[in-house]
Amino acid sequence: MNRTLAAALVLVLAPLGCGRGDVAAGPRVVCVSKQINEFLYDIDAESVLVARDLTSVYPAAIKSLPSVGYHRALSAEGIISMKPTMLLTDGNLGPDAVVEQVKKVGIPVLVLKPGSSIDSSQALMTRLGKEFHHEKQADSVVAAWKQAMATALADTSTWASPHPPRVLVMHLGQIANDYLALERGTVADQLIRWTGGVNAIDSVGGMLRLTPELIAKAAPDIIIATDVGFDRVGSADKFAAVPGVAQTPAARSKRIHRVDEIDLMYYSPRTPDVLRKFAGWVHDSTASQH
Amino acid sequence: MTIARRSDRTVYLLLALCLVASLVASASIGAFTFSPATMARYVGQSLGWIPASAPDALGRSVFFELRLPRVLMGALAGAALGVSGTLMQGLFRNPIVEPGLAGTSSGAALGAALVFVLGGGALSFHSPAGVFAVPLLAFAGAFAATMLVYRISSSFGKVNVFTLLLAGIAVNAVCAAGTGFLSYIARDPQARNITFWSLGTFTTADWRGVWLVGVCFAACFVLALGYAKPLNALMLGEDEAAYLGADPQRLIVRLLIVNTVMVAATTAMVGVIAFVGLVIPHVLRMMRSSSYTFLLPASALLGATLMAVVDVVARLVIAPAELPIGIITAVIGAPVFLWILLREQRQGSAGFYG
Amino acid sequence: MVELRGVSYRAGGALILDDVSVRFEPGQLNVVLGPNGAGKSTLLRLATGLVRPTSGEVRYDGEPVARLEPEPLARRRAVLSQHVELAFALPVADVVLMGRYPHYGRTPHPRDREIVSSALELVGMAHKRDQAYTTLSGGERQKVQLARVLAQIWSDDSREARYLFLDEPTNGLDVHYQLHILQVARGLMSPECTIVAVLHDLNVAFEYGTHFVLLENGRIAIEARTSAEIPANVIERVFRVRARRVRSADHAEEYWRFDL
Repeated sequence: MNRTLAAALVLVLAPLGCGRGDVAAGPRVVCVSKQINEFLYDIDAESVLVARDLTSVYPAAIKSLPSVGYHRALSAEGIISMKPTMLLTDGNLGPDAVVEQVKKVGIPVLVLKPGSSIDSSQALMTRLGKEFHHEKQADSVVAAWKQAMATALADTSTWASPHPPRVLVMHLGQIANDYLALERGTVADQLIRWTGGVNAIDSVGGMLRLTPELIAKAAPDIIIATDVGFDRVGSADKFAAVPGVAQTPAARSKRIHRVDEIDLMYYSPRTPDVLRKFAGWVHDSTASQH
Repeated sequence: MTIARRSDRTVYLLLALCLVASLVASASIGAFTFSPATMARYVGQSLGWIPASAPDALGRSVFFELRLPRVLMGALAGAALGVSGTLMQGLFRNPIVEPGLAGTSSGAALGAALVFVLGGGALSFHSPAGVFAVPLLAFAGAFAATMLVYRISSSFGKVNVFTLLLAGIAVNAVCAAGTGFLSYIARDPQARNITFWSLGTFTTADWRGVWLVGVCFAACFVLALGYAKPLNALMLGEDEAAYLGADPQRLIVRLLIVNTVMVAATTAMVGVIAFVGLVIPHVLRMMRSSSYTFLLPASALLGATLMAVVDVVARLVIAPAELPIGIITAVIGAPVFLWILLREQRQGSAGFYG
Repeated sequence: MVELRGVSYRAGGALILDDVSVRFEPGQLNVVLGPNGAGKSTLLRLATGLVRPTSGEVRYDGEPVARLEPEPLARRRAVLSQHVELAFALPVADVVLMGRYPHYGRTPHPRDREIVSSALELVGMAHKRDQAYTTLSGGERQKVQLARVLAQIWSDDSREARYLFLDEPTNGLDVHYQLHILQVARGLMSPECTIVAVLHDLNVAFEYGTHFVLLENGRIAIEARTSAEIPANVIERVFRVRARRVRSADHAEEYWRFDL
């Protein structure tokens, strides 16, 4: 009874002992990469996190962590004030000097470059599992992920067609006339290819700024628009009326669909589901339901 | 209106005290807060007077490696921009002149942007070659732009002030277009550096940068002080200055060079920060005197103080993230400037600050 | 003494001064007269050494002015312009102190400040020494400029040659300031001081001047010591007006009347 009471007292009083200067033992990680943050939650290692960057908002639980700012406009002091044991990044951060500054005060910086393929993303998750001693969780998530991908891909092989439909994945920016298409080499492009389509845009890179004429020239049969732009316009019908889009086969047959941007930024265990969604859009020639 | 005859020394003392206070505040406040006692302890530890203690290690490291260079960089940048504004207003005999007006700031920005975008990995800021590449190209850009403006605006060996202002506008536009184009064609990593830096930041300040800006500023400031008398004479007009024994053409060229060096060094390190050179001399003239013997040292002190305060605000407003400096100076500077313009309108033909 | 020898000046294709030779002696109030466009201001600017003639030479007591160093020259030679722009609110005393710039390095000596006070007294502006320059009237400003110019060539060594040039110094000023400024100028006449003034008002000029040079289209029409030496028809031709002398009953005073 006394021991239980003592234990209870310790549990109750322990948080009071955590003053500003009193830092809990164990790893304290500041991670400014969206993909790595999501993976940490996937493998149940999220407790190591003490801060995130502004754009890491998935899963929703991460929003309760303090943000150290936009990952391209970081401040070394802001990061260091979290008293981290490690700064974790995928290399996409700025300004460049921040990495040096953080290292200068003795905080290690771990750069894990994300892969441009499913395999390297899965390898990243395994690596994270090793780093934070959650190998078992990592292995099981990766295994399930591989299984889901295999099934999804197996299904897609029945979907290849002699006339691959032209697919355009695009952002409609906040500023009018801001069309950004995702080119070859991106996750979206890979998804298009897996589902037997072909990217309506013929260049390699990341994002390409388009004009209405270029969209019309690309003549996609299907347009997949990301959430921000689509929601601003309101509906598939309104989107079909956007200049440049209006002149495409996709608009005429009303094959315009909405996808969440977060699904396209990197490969993750959610990718198999996104793949199925894409497949449905590419191979179902009926008009959009949105 | 009678102008008080308090000694200039009193005002300098006041400004210096404000500067010290703002520097202490800037060194103290931020994501990490250091009390003066803590700062003293760190200094003692690093000088070996008291034994270093392990819990202090992180704080001490942050203080000496990050905070202190940043505070000094901010003060130096503010002083440089303040003095530069004063110099240019003296040169053009016009209080509505900025260091960026003769193309200096935008030329420096273009030079640095060239390194960021076309330099690639070999010339990145922290590589051995890159250390010199950015400031050097910034100097070159600022100098080329300023000399171009000067060439356009001088004929038969005399500088025409109005043409200088118009040429400055044209050259600024060209440099801005160049920088804009570079950031447009930049592949991702370089573009990051341009947009962030072009809004003005002290985040990346380190001791190397502090030395660079410090040496440039100190040299240029000493030279500028020697020109206080001729600048006063110039207020009466180029002919009058010539009658008083000055050589206006040589004076103008020398001052332009001194100004370019200061602004280029500052811009290369901290990006483009506007309005400081415009507002500081205004405030000092209203407060006290239009004589350059007073304005030059006072604008260094007040400029440094202002920048230290602005830096604190930048660190606090959206902590732990930081706001770009240029945004804050614009938010403060633009309304102040408009107010000055309105005041001037109301005064009518009583001249500036009459 | 200021001497112009065969001085010509050409600008923008036009010949503004054509082979002008004239001597301005010390101890006189030399006046240059002429209609607009005759070349008066150009003549003065050449005489001050600010501008080089296209041909010919300007000499100060035998020395070519082109060979003199600017700062030593500035200690002996001062120019009061028609209108001096000053857009910044300096106190009057500081403006006058600028006249002493050629005389001190970093900081003014006590003697410099004394000279400033004396100069202000001489022009009658001592009571406004702490006032902002920009709050003064046009006439007051010109008096302050005159004080500055005087301070510039103020010398304790009365044997040192000095040169004072006044370029239409009373333009746009009311009669009080016109007379006051010219009275001060007249009071400066001394064996060491060469004064050359460009004036536009003939009657005022003849009242105060002691040596007159009348310019016409870049050439000297006539030189005279008194107004009596200048025939009325010369005045009429040069200024394109009808001119006649008017004398008071006792012949003590004389002035010119003009009609078109």
